[in-house]
Amino acid sequence: MTWTWFHRLASPPYIYTLAARLTPWFAWPAGLLIVAGLWGGLVLAPPDYQQGDGFRIIYVHAPSAWMSLMVYTTMAIAAAVGLIWRIKVAHAVAASCAPIGASFTFAALVTGALWGQPMWGTYWEWDPRLTSELILLFLYLGYMGLRAAMEDTQRADRASGVLAVVGVVNVPIIHYSVTWWNSLHQAPTVMRLAKPEIAASMLVPLLMMLLGFTLFFAAILLVRLRGEVLSRERSASWIREVVSA
Amino acid sequence: MNSMSRFFEMGGYAAFVWPAYAITFAAIVLNILWARRSLARSREEARRRLAARGEGA
Amino acid sequence: MNRVVTPIAGSLVQTDTAPSTQTPAWPDTAQASVLEAARLALARDLRLAFRKRDQLVQPLAFYAMVTMLFPLSISPELSRLREVAPGVLWAGALLASLLALEFLFRDDAYDGTLEQYALSGQSLTWLMFAKTAAHWLLTGLPLALMAPLAGLSLGVPAAALPGIVVSVAVGSIALSLIGSIGAALTLGVKRSSALLALLTLPLSLPVLIFGARATQLAISGGPLLAPLELLAALAVLGVTLAPLAAAAAVRISLE
Repeated sequence: MTWTWFHRLASPPYIYTLAARLTPWFAWPAGLLIVAGLWGGLVLAPPDYQQGDGFRIIYVHAPSAWMSLMVYTTMAIAAAVGLIWRIKVAHAVAASCAPIGASFTFAALVTGALWGQPMWGTYWEWDPRLTSELILLFLYLGYMGLRAAMEDTQRADRASGVLAVVGVVNVPIIHYSVTWWNSLHQAPTVMRLAKPEIAASMLVPLLMMLLGFTLFFAAILLVRLRGEVLSRERSASWIREVVSA
Repeated sequence: MNSMSRFFEMGGYAAFVWPAYAITFAAIVLNILWARRSLARSREEARRRLAARGEGA
Repeated sequence: MNRVVTPIAGSLVQTDTAPSTQTPAWPDTAQASVLEAARLALARDLRLAFRKRDQLVQPLAFYAMVTMLFPLSISPELSRLREVAPGVLWAGALLASLLALEFLFRDDAYDGTLEQYALSGQSLTWLMFAKTAAHWLLTGLPLALMAPLAGLSLGVPAAALPGIVVSVAVGSIALSLIGSIGAALTLGVKRSSALLALLTLPLSLPVLIFGARATQLAISGGPLLAPLELLAALAVLGVTLAPLAAAAAVRISLE
């Protein structure tokens, strides 16, 4: 009984219409949360006693970094599902994730550099977290490059799927690098199992931004997914109704 | 107006805070535009494929 | 006409370069023949490589050239070179290993041997392990033996040399294994050198980091057991996971 919805998700026409219908349900809350988070973070939250107003970069840096890891994990899981059960829709999900993840990894690196210079004295340092985040960017680019190099979509799906799964080992390395090694980057204050050590007025906007970005990812994923699903359906009859609409 | 200028100066960190926000905003906007263009292109391609086959199987 | 031993279905089949004309006998016991097949694949790769000896020297010559770039472009002073020696030795080894990776599957993909491996009913994972082992014996190990020469040219003290040989030898195991995944993924891709590097280098960076650290400690005379153990751990991790991924990638490329 429970497996029927899973099988329906694997059906391209169903996914196409479902994605179209769901997109606004993620897009609007995402927009609201981000705006509210920006208001809370830029205006309402008090300045940090150590970093002054400079700490407010956290409201764009932390969500971007979170996106870079979360999107890759999603991509790797989708790729694994696609490889194991040979589901085209899963491969379409993985393909949709990559550009989103790459752009936010880049944003995380740049916002991190802009935060690092005034606070810790340097734009960049080759410490474990920054280096492994940079590696993550290269993994995304490698994934996209491998896809682009192969003409056959099915082979591109499966080859890049293997790459995505192999590269997922980098994600825990990035996350735990600040606890495993002495690093320039600070230890986790929010994403840890113990209670976060940060004031509520600063924490709440951060959580709103994190959630808002996550919903934004879902919305963009759904838009891209429709295109990816379409391009994998060569001769299906359901396309006729969809594209002539 | 005083609080407005204080807001923009970000306690002296304006040169770092605002570019950071700008680039993140750019990432968001680019993702929206890119995703929509990618979908439009896929739809156009599907339409062309169907037309080439004369709307038939 | 070259007579080549190919492990088809675990039996020692002597074929000419068209193995499909043979009808192999399928063994009943698959277990014992897996290792036998792997051993045969390894022996085959080694024998074929020694027929083209000049191709064997290429990565070594490349390594020598890369090492030479740094004294010429940075500074000929040995004291300064000694500081950058760990990085140069390891970056050079990584790049030379990358160069040799392109040949790992190429010839076998062209003449259909890789397809025979996939269809043989033998564990493709084991065969990938055997091929990667051959690659290490033909590339990684010679690079490790050459590293002392490169090190001496960069002002490394003689006492550091054994440590350097060991660290490059162990580290290059992991490099060969990680590289085999990228090589298998880019099998069907034309002009794949840059893509292969883009795929392999990110995953090889931990090896580079620990290897350079081990070399650094060897030069300064410190205890290099810790980074060596990490290199060994990476090699073990690679041995267990990489052939599996490479086999999956080869199957995808052969479809």
